[in-house]
Amino acid sequence: MDIDIKRLATLAKLQLTDEEMEMLARQLPDILAYVSKLQEVDTSGVDAKAYLTDAVNVLREDVITSSREERDAVIAAFPKQVGGAMEVPGVFAA
Amino acid sequence: MNTNWTVKSIRDSVNGGSVTALSIVDEALRRIEEKDGEIGAFLEVFATDARKAAKEVDARHAKGEVDLPLAGVPIALKDNMLVMGHIASAGSKMLADYRASYTATVVTRLQAAGAIIIGRTNMDEFAFGSSTESSAFHVTKNPRDTSKVPGGTSGGSAAAVAAGMIPAALGSDTGGSIRQPSSLCGVVGMKPTYGRVSRYGLIADGSSLDQIGPIATTVEDVAIVLSIIEGKDSHDATSVVLDDLTSENVSSDLAGVRIGVPKEYFIDGMDEDVAARIHEAIETLKKGGAEIVNMSLPLAPYALPAFYIIQPAEASSNLARFDGMRYGNRGEGAIEESYRSARGAGLGAEAKRRIMLGTFILSAGYYDAFYKKAIAVRAAMKMEFDAALKKVDVIVGPVSPIAAWGIGEKMDDPVSMYLADVFTVSANILGIPGISVPCGTAHGLPVGLQILGKSFDDNRVLQVAAAFEALHNAS
Repeated sequence: MDIDIKRLATLAKLQLTDEEMEMLARQLPDILAYVSKLQEVDTSGVDAKAYLTDAVNVLREDVITSSREERDAVIAAFPKQVGGAMEVPGVFAA
Repeated sequence: MNTNWTVKSIRDSVNGGSVTALSIVDEALRRIEEKDGEIGAFLEVFATDARKAAKEVDARHAKGEVDLPLAGVPIALKDNMLVMGHIASAGSKMLADYRASYTATVVTRLQAAGAIIIGRTNMDEFAFGSSTESSAFHVTKNPRDTSKVPGGTSGGSAAAVAAGMIPAALGSDTGGSIRQPSSLCGVVGMKPTYGRVSRYGLIADGSSLDQIGPIATTVEDVAIVLSIIEGKDSHDATSVVLDDLTSENVSSDLAGVRIGVPKEYFIDGMDEDVAARIHEAIETLKKGGAEIVNMSLPLAPYALPAFYIIQPAEASSNLARFDGMRYGNRGEGAIEESYRSARGAGLGAEAKRRIMLGTFILSAGYYDAFYKKAIAVRAAMKMEFDAALKKVDVIVGPVSPIAAWGIGEKMDDPVSMYLADVFTVSANILGIPGISVPCGTAHGLPVGLQILGKSFDDNRVLQVAAAFEALHNAS
């Protein structure tokens, strides 16, 4: 199977070294060949959904249950912040 | 096994007033200090907080709370469960300094029951692996033979219990990550039914597969811990209200119990000694009064390929949040470059492999052939197992086709590592409960018997496990 590792890494937003790309180019086809065994199974007529529980539309009251302490801890975990807001690089090019 | 170092005996002693929770915690810390240098089960020991929590349990005892179900019991957490203010790294450099901003529901429930959170244990990064060697921090050794892996991904939790450092730990099981290390280390580990235990505060791997469960030295201890952590939680929409709660008084009666033995669970290439122990275990169950039903599950061999499509697809989606914005280390440069460099620097080889695999599987042109096909096979497997489990109460077989292997042996061959999960993934694909119970040794290393049951019939799985444990210990 032909896999464009570079394009895939771009889609996955993953920086890879040349060695990593070389290794993945070798290993991914092996793994995909193994999982392709599934093609042997006839699934025509199978309803291709598999729900593990009978739960549908699990709803809860729309009330805030977390504490101020939790909110502060979330902010404290940001790698960069300004005045309690997360600081990020510009999203739109100037 | 050390009979006074079980969940039940510690809980009873603390409730009875013959020992304090603090003395139990000090003993656990002493054992960890003595043994963990060699084993490497822990990433961090919460000594200060554990002593403080023990004093609180002793204070509760003094005020008349003398029937706490886990009074003074030291329990370790796999490093993917959150305790507010403590680091939870999921075995990844990406989260090496991440401090949890809230506490997992399982932890809140353990603490309310009087348990003491003693520390966090080593794991394969983001729970990808089968040996705990994919941890970004260190290698954990199998206490039964320190040249061998402990299994994974909850290898630290299983090793800490197997080495006698602590009586119980929590693990998480996405494709066998509780049962397989329990088997390889010779302890009891259970993956409950999907929906039985809340995953709120568990760092997600494969969301349709993940389940938290206990690891301990006896079936009874596993049942005690499960009875505390299970139940509906409004923070996890997949958790359900249980009709049939876990009882810590596990029946070990086998009369009238029908046990299915699928021929697909004995494969070519399986270790002969492992197969022999499983056949002996089945004979033991038969002598104990169970009816053995030989059966066939033709789709069982497709569980592993289906798993290695569904799991990477879900995990690559779940790991999208680790982009250096909200957690971990910020990458360099403009936004796209920042994402890429944060992920490139923070993630290890197996995590990158699963992300790439999942991204490929979900990409345009391949989605139908891989992901959609795997979901269809999952649905077909569910029908096949549901039909089989109408004829029997449980299904038994091996947990792992081989005993613990040498450290480093499979690290360069991902497919061979993935094959270690061949018998465990079905339970996750189907959401059913499964347990590993020690059933002897192969080449001097522990072998685990796997017992799988119907959805939410966890009590039946525990019952057969307890019966086998009693018969095996008596033989």
